[in-house]
Amino acid sequence: MEQLRDASIHHTAQKLAHAIKAMKNYEEIFKKVQQLACSPGVDKHDLRNTLEDAIKSTGLETEIRNIVFHLVRNTLITEPKSQEKLAHGTDPLAYLRRSAVQWDRRVRKSLNAMCAELSMPLQGQPRTVIDRDELISKWEELSNYTIDLSNYRPVYAPKDLLDVLLSLKGPQKPVEDTEQVPNWEFSHIELPVKNLFELRLLFAELFRKDATTTNLDLPTQCKRILETKQSPLCQHFLKKGKTPAPFRGELWSFVLSHGNDMHGQECEHWARLRNKVLTTDHIVDKLIFKDIQLTASNDDQYFVFEDVLYQIMLCFSRDTEIASQIQFEKYPVKGRNYDGPPSGVVPFHGICMFAAPFCYLYDSSINLYFTFRAFYIRYCHRLTTINTHPQGIVSLCLLFEKLLQTHEPQLWSHFRELQIQPIRVVFKWLMRAFSGHLPPDQLLILWDLILGYDSLEVLSLFAIIILSFRKDSLMQVTSLDNIEAILADLSSIKVLPLIQLALCRD
Amino acid sequence: MYGRAGNTVPHERMRVSFCTDLDKSVLVNNFEKRGWTQVSPDDDWNFYWASVQTCRNIFSVDSGYRMHDNQMINHFPNHYELSRKDLLVKNIKRYRKDLEREGNPLAERSEPTAAGAPRYVYLDFVPITFVLPADYNMFVEEYRKNPQSTWIMKPCGKSQGAGIFLINKLSKLKRWSREAKGPFHQQLSKESYVISKYIDNPLLIGGKKFDLRLYVLVTSFRPLKAYLFKQGFCRFCTVKYDTSVTELDNMYVHLTNVSVQKHGGEYNNLHGGKWSVQNLALYLEGTRGKEVTDRLFGSIAWLIVHSLRAVAPVMASDRHCFECYGYDIIIDNNLKPWLVEVNASPSLTSTTVTDRILKYKLIDNILSVVLPPDGVPDVRWNKIPSADALGNFDLLLDEELAAQEEQAQNAQPSTKGRGGGNRWK
Repeated sequence: MEQLRDASIHHTAQKLAHAIKAMKNYEEIFKKVQQLACSPGVDKHDLRNTLEDAIKSTGLETEIRNIVFHLVRNTLITEPKSQEKLAHGTDPLAYLRRSAVQWDRRVRKSLNAMCAELSMPLQGQPRTVIDRDELISKWEELSNYTIDLSNYRPVYAPKDLLDVLLSLKGPQKPVEDTEQVPNWEFSHIELPVKNLFELRLLFAELFRKDATTTNLDLPTQCKRILETKQSPLCQHFLKKGKTPAPFRGELWSFVLSHGNDMHGQECEHWARLRNKVLTTDHIVDKLIFKDIQLTASNDDQYFVFEDVLYQIMLCFSRDTEIASQIQFEKYPVKGRNYDGPPSGVVPFHGICMFAAPFCYLYDSSINLYFTFRAFYIRYCHRLTTINTHPQGIVSLCLLFEKLLQTHEPQLWSHFRELQIQPIRVVFKWLMRAFSGHLPPDQLLILWDLILGYDSLEVLSLFAIIILSFRKDSLMQVTSLDNIEAILADLSSIKVLPLIQLALCRD
Repeated sequence: MYGRAGNTVPHERMRVSFCTDLDKSVLVNNFEKRGWTQVSPDDDWNFYWASVQTCRNIFSVDSGYRMHDNQMINHFPNHYELSRKDLLVKNIKRYRKDLEREGNPLAERSEPTAAGAPRYVYLDFVPITFVLPADYNMFVEEYRKNPQSTWIMKPCGKSQGAGIFLINKLSKLKRWSREAKGPFHQQLSKESYVISKYIDNPLLIGGKKFDLRLYVLVTSFRPLKAYLFKQGFCRFCTVKYDTSVTELDNMYVHLTNVSVQKHGGEYNNLHGGKWSVQNLALYLEGTRGKEVTDRLFGSIAWLIVHSLRAVAPVMASDRHCFECYGYDIIIDNNLKPWLVEVNASPSLTSTTVTDRILKYKLIDNILSVVLPPDGVPDVRWNKIPSADALGNFDLLLDEELAAQEEQAQNAQPSTKGRGGGNRWK
């Protein structure tokens, strides 16, 4: 057993070493180590110990630890079992993977069709000099860059994705089961989801009284943690849901990437993206402008950041690193493959609302961009595509459904009687992670929890909590419109007390 | 009939009657929610939401109208001491001089610099302003110290951005004054203007300029009792800010008044260019830190209190009156707030759904602060509302309460004062 574990650690270490060597900033780190090795404090007779000390004392150790933390979180966790099952054709989720690939293909196909219709090449075309000059001069005020968008429509909206999800058909069940199992929308999907007890364990930190551990006030604790520059500590701090606003931006960037100190490469990367936007004219640009105009520009919480969002989303569309970091579902499906935009992400209705809340955290577009990008890759992507991830949108729908049925049976039967699928009224919340629905101060708390617990499950839980909070009103109405009217205004909802109340109630 | 004594009417049976010059739903809905009945101005009313003109008429000696104890009206008779741009500046200048004469440390001045006269350290919250044509020579003297500066001209008596223009050359002002005196502008020449140093380094958010509209309720000037409504908002220019001269004539860039912005091509009906003060605070805390944000909001409260103190001695502090002022404030990029003007009849027109909710709440909270606990107007009430009655209002200053607290403190030196009421002393 010991041996096995040693071997597995050795194996992981090897994988990590490989991954680090493949990183863009490997050279930079290696140079730093080389310099340290030459420093007077390092003794060549006791190289191992003295070099280690030097690495620790210069803070390079923290940097490497954070790199390992992010590598382990983002890339090394794969699903070897399912890969195996896939190979043997025994994967119970095969149909889901197939649907995922088909959905992705369908979205790209419709982008391709739009290109053909408007006779624009999908790969983009060089921008005309006049257009480029205009774009350069208006880069800081892109709301004044006027283009005709009347022919462009969002490629898909939450409703389209929901319709596909609701039509997902699993393998046929044995006949005797159908009588016991009511006709749930997602229950046939064999994805593991937590029950309330397990959620309570997951969010245990929300109740922990920390009076004994420290008598420092939160801002001071937070400052100390930021001084350590350690990503895991920053992540842990977010779990309390009481993040002081002035430190949130920096905490988030440590949890999602490498902190607020941007290195030269990030600036270079941003400049390259900007340059790609300025030199090529791409259909996604139009879709991005359209999306921002349809959503953030009309939103009284976010309209002031319109121009920042244009920059962020345009650069996002050109970032090929996103395509390489997103874990797409794999399943062999026959038929033609379609190209997507450089980032691999086809803009949908409301995509910019994932970036909008970040405007409350960062003044600098570069800081905003890299934290948002990491957030998108890790979380938003799972919310907007069909996938088998335990925190993907399918799992969240299933979790919502199970929680509602178990803990709000009255509401559940009310919805059944009205023949309204409960998921219909909450899906847009889930798919947008509540952005644009909760006021920013509360939304940021909810997202603190997503980052702190590294889990999107809080979205399903919170959707239930709101339904349950407005249960009395919901029980009195009988149409979808009225239900939606009751749930339209979330401006009075306070995230933390409601979640705490729901989890500690029995 | 006008002089009837209030105490002949027993409170239990008293139905409150209201009357209003403004047919706004946010007003009428609030009055009706309280079970009040609408009457005409000639009937016996308890509560009058009047225009400033009506109010002036009621209080004028000629009208012969005398209000009884159970009547209230929403303006002070000489509110213009605060709301007219020239008088406001005059009052503030006098207030500072008075404090200086008393040797009050609040009136401390900085060392004079090359750029201009010594500034007040704590009471420097209005941009340098002169009244034209009266102070023309003083203006020219100030202008010559800094000929690159831009100035903004505003007619004293107008509101909502009417008649405002920018000046960055003395010759332009001279031309204006010649034209104004011409035969076609007879009425213009009679009107006085204020000329103020233009805040050319405003705080920009998302690259856009904005100003703050805050609501301040005053229920008495002597002693001063003032409350600040928590839900103010930022009004954004829909056009990007650019100081280049070609843009100088594009008023949409410079004025954030909704009534001006509404005529701009890009006015948005869903948010109306309005962004809540709560969001401003969240953004500033997130991007600039807590201390500077707190300092900014502290300075804003300071500015409001001292502008009110500046006019308190000249205000007719009639016990029948209360007034809700719209404070227009610009924040510069050092996060220093500047008082631009005070409106005695802030707009109650709702531009968006959020706006309507806000204004309905504002009126509701005003009513609950100005009315005694039994909901019937009564001038004999001490105008000290309970904490619950404040709603979304924060107490800025109640000199009466502060004095009481001070007395209590002196009587019992061991107890610590709450420090809430008298922090402006």
